[in-house]
Amino acid sequence: MELRLSKDATATKAAASYPLRWRSRSYAILGLALFFGVTVLVTSAIGSTHIPLDTLAGVFLSKLPFIHVEPAWTASVETIVFNIRLPRLLLAGLVGAALAVAGTTYQGLFRNPLADPYLIGVAQGAALGAVIGFLLPASWQSASVPLLAFAGALLAVAAVYLVARVGKTLPITVLILAGVALGAFLAAVTSYLMVASGDRLHGIISWLLGTFSLTNWWQVSVVTPYVILGIAIIWIYARPLNVMQLDEEQAQQLGVNVERVKLVLLVAATLMTAAAVCFCGIIGFVGIIIPHALRLIWGPDHRFLLPLATFGGASFLILADTAARTVLAPAEIPVGVITAFLGAPFFLYLLRQKKRAIF
Amino acid sequence: MRIRETLEATGHFAKRSGLLALSFFLLCLGCAAQSPAGNIADDLGRTVSIHEVPLRVVSLAPSNTEILFALGLDEKVVGVTEYCNYPKAATAKLKIGGFSTVDVEKVVSLTPDLILAAPVHARTVVPSLEKLGLTVFVLAPADMEGVFNSIRLVGRITGQEKRALQLVEDINARAKAVTVKTESLTPDQKPKVLYLTWHDPMFTAGTGTLAHDLISKAGGQNIASDIAGDKNIDLETVVYRNPQVIIASVNMGAGEDLTWQYVNKEPRLKNTDALKYGRVYKIDGDLVHRPGPRAIEGLEDMARFIHPELFTGTR
Amino acid sequence: MLTLRLENISLGYGKRTVLRDINLEARPGELLGIIGPNGSGKSTLIRGITRLISLSSGQIFLNGQNMAAISRAKMAALVAVVPQNAALPEMFTAFEVVLMGRTPHLGLFQREGQKDLDIVKGAMEVTRTYALAGRRVGELSGGERQRLVMARALAQEPKVMLLDEPTAHLDINYQIETMDLVRRLCLEQRLIIITTLHDLNLAAQYCDRLVMLSKGGIHCHGTPRQVINARAIKEVYGAEVCVLPHPVNDLPATFVAPSITGSLSPGRDDPTIWRP
Repeated sequence: MELRLSKDATATKAAASYPLRWRSRSYAILGLALFFGVTVLVTSAIGSTHIPLDTLAGVFLSKLPFIHVEPAWTASVETIVFNIRLPRLLLAGLVGAALAVAGTTYQGLFRNPLADPYLIGVAQGAALGAVIGFLLPASWQSASVPLLAFAGALLAVAAVYLVARVGKTLPITVLILAGVALGAFLAAVTSYLMVASGDRLHGIISWLLGTFSLTNWWQVSVVTPYVILGIAIIWIYARPLNVMQLDEEQAQQLGVNVERVKLVLLVAATLMTAAAVCFCGIIGFVGIIIPHALRLIWGPDHRFLLPLATFGGASFLILADTAARTVLAPAEIPVGVITAFLGAPFFLYLLRQKKRAIF
Repeated sequence: MRIRETLEATGHFAKRSGLLALSFFLLCLGCAAQSPAGNIADDLGRTVSIHEVPLRVVSLAPSNTEILFALGLDEKVVGVTEYCNYPKAATAKLKIGGFSTVDVEKVVSLTPDLILAAPVHARTVVPSLEKLGLTVFVLAPADMEGVFNSIRLVGRITGQEKRALQLVEDINARAKAVTVKTESLTPDQKPKVLYLTWHDPMFTAGTGTLAHDLISKAGGQNIASDIAGDKNIDLETVVYRNPQVIIASVNMGAGEDLTWQYVNKEPRLKNTDALKYGRVYKIDGDLVHRPGPRAIEGLEDMARFIHPELFTGTR
Repeated sequence: MLTLRLENISLGYGKRTVLRDINLEARPGELLGIIGPNGSGKSTLIRGITRLISLSSGQIFLNGQNMAAISRAKMAALVAVVPQNAALPEMFTAFEVVLMGRTPHLGLFQREGQKDLDIVKGAMEVTRTYALAGRRVGELSGGERQRLVMARALAQEPKVMLLDEPTAHLDINYQIETMDLVRRLCLEQRLIIITTLHDLNLAAQYCDRLVMLSKGGIHCHGTPRQVINARAIKEVYGAEVCVLPHPVNDLPATFVAPSITGSLSPGRDDPTIWRP
């Protein structure tokens, strides 16, 4: 997106004379990207243990090539900053970006302001998979929970897709209904298993509320390709997604291959969401607040909305997680609780905005 | 004639009733030596009136069960929880539910004269039982001293005072064998100890818990001493505070040593003193979380872990 | 010469056949109107041409090439549709909606250039919607949105335009403006334009040729003078009307004529019946 400004400077200037707001939106993207970077740096300095800023600067600088800094800190400080805080921040950023972009995509696909990444069964499938993982012999748990959560999410959506598909087309309303129905069923099974889980319940509840504690670099490396790929694919389809905001017939008559776009976006968003939640659990509200807020400010054009959602979602979740691990330090609140705290008032605010269209 | 007969009859009667009265009086005296003395305050400050030796006792917590059996009251125990696994004989008793999930109906159906509860029952279960006219005693020991009090209290209300006092003395003697060596240690001779109840999320025991008391008595410094109660602690804090000894609780519920395995596997703990010098130990969680007679074994274990130079051999 | 020819078209929804054996040809510069009662298949025909509904039988040829062989993307660059009651997303601005009309001419990674923006501006000026350019669609009236959809179709720079009831929600001045515009485009830019119309008078005034549909087939076709007459209307619509030559240009003008028998109340001119 940043390339636009330099390559087609004349075009953008002309565009500025038309009511398009391209330039201001491009600056907004840059601004949010910068904000994301600053957020990562700042929140790496915050935590339950106090690390003075000059020490922190030294720790970071010492990792850069060609700069030699005398280590005046203990090994534990490095462990804390690079192996505890940084992977945690990055995973929070990845998950936040994934959820925000997936939410934007679902809201665009379903043309429904209440759509979120969990609409067609991802959350319920992942939850069921995770709970099964928790109930397996505990020695398998660290690997089985994320794996089963991921598999559960994908299987649930695949089931919904197969039920909803009509010939070669995928009617959107049928998809939503099938998703809600299957989701309810999966949630019931999950609840039953939870009741029968006995002493594993605390771990399960923690996972269900969403938490980033004990994030390590391995988890980050697993999630990164899914999220990067998913976001990239969805970015590419930004303009067709715009056109699909007309109804499907009009989009088709404007040359958009509606069924293919639906399938590609659905697959990309679902894979991304499944990868995002399999380690940290079901974090709510990010996928629905961020797209709405950004749309209200910068308009519904997905070519800008998607990059904004990427950086906005990442920053938001990093900040929420930072609050989660500092408000009651050294105890941690599940980050899903923080996002819900922020999300509920936002919803109320949205509801009051009846005067102007919100979608 | 009639007067004399009446007098004789009265005299006879008086003798007999006097004898009766005397024997009754003596019986009362005898009973008084054994029977509980009226209104007693439990650990929550509730005044409970107990006038007769209870014959049917239900325990709502594993620690209470262990105390009852240690005082030789096994015959009188009619109901225990699913988690009461010590001694072996306790597992044969009728189950009245889990630890926080008590089946009130079941309890009532056992017609107990005495119910020993724990603080977790205070808000819901205890009032329900009281309303049904049952006698409930809540034991809430938070440290070794509290355990002694509990034992003595149970002894008092069940008419086993002598046995209780003996038990307390025995345990105290063993405790003293530990503290006599540890109380004279200076702060830098006391290693920093992390006690982990569970690893995902990380839970530790702060002030006001039995584990904290055991660590202190065993000559260690709990790195979670600024936390109150059983709370979670994040990895960052643990790494920063660099414990020299890590004691992981095992056998809790699932019957496996996952927490101990985790501590050994987590790469971010590799640089702590505990991992560097191989001071990671596992302890049976039942010894540390049950404020009962076996807490002394927990103390002895911890003493060996924390000060191997002062305490050798196995228990 | 570019022609759009329908050969023996039959189409319908599922098992229900709506249109049977339709044959017609549209030529550039000639405004072709489709008229007929509701349910006679006017909208269905439009949707069949644009492949929203698949044909049960028959073929459509655009310039000799079977349209089934043209990819959807290429078709979008040739054929523009102005549907009835088109749903528009509320939060986009009018300009952005019309800009979507340029989609068929842009690659997946291509961004709209100066040329595209100017075309959009032109299309909006022609439809008198440029003043609404910066406003959100949600704030516009039904008629304004209708003109936006028209502008979007124009922005597609099509060779063929299909309109479905383009004057449906418009005030009479905009009805005239729209039909003037359609006719002018047809003539000046030599477009093939097929439009369905509800209003028989507009159809007569503006269309060069008319096709009257009835019960799934073509009842008659030809010039307005040939097609619009009282008998045909009676046969197809079942209505009694008066068709007289328009005072200005002699084209058939349809007047509503109350029935000679039956519709007047019997005592209408009887003074003895109480009247308020």
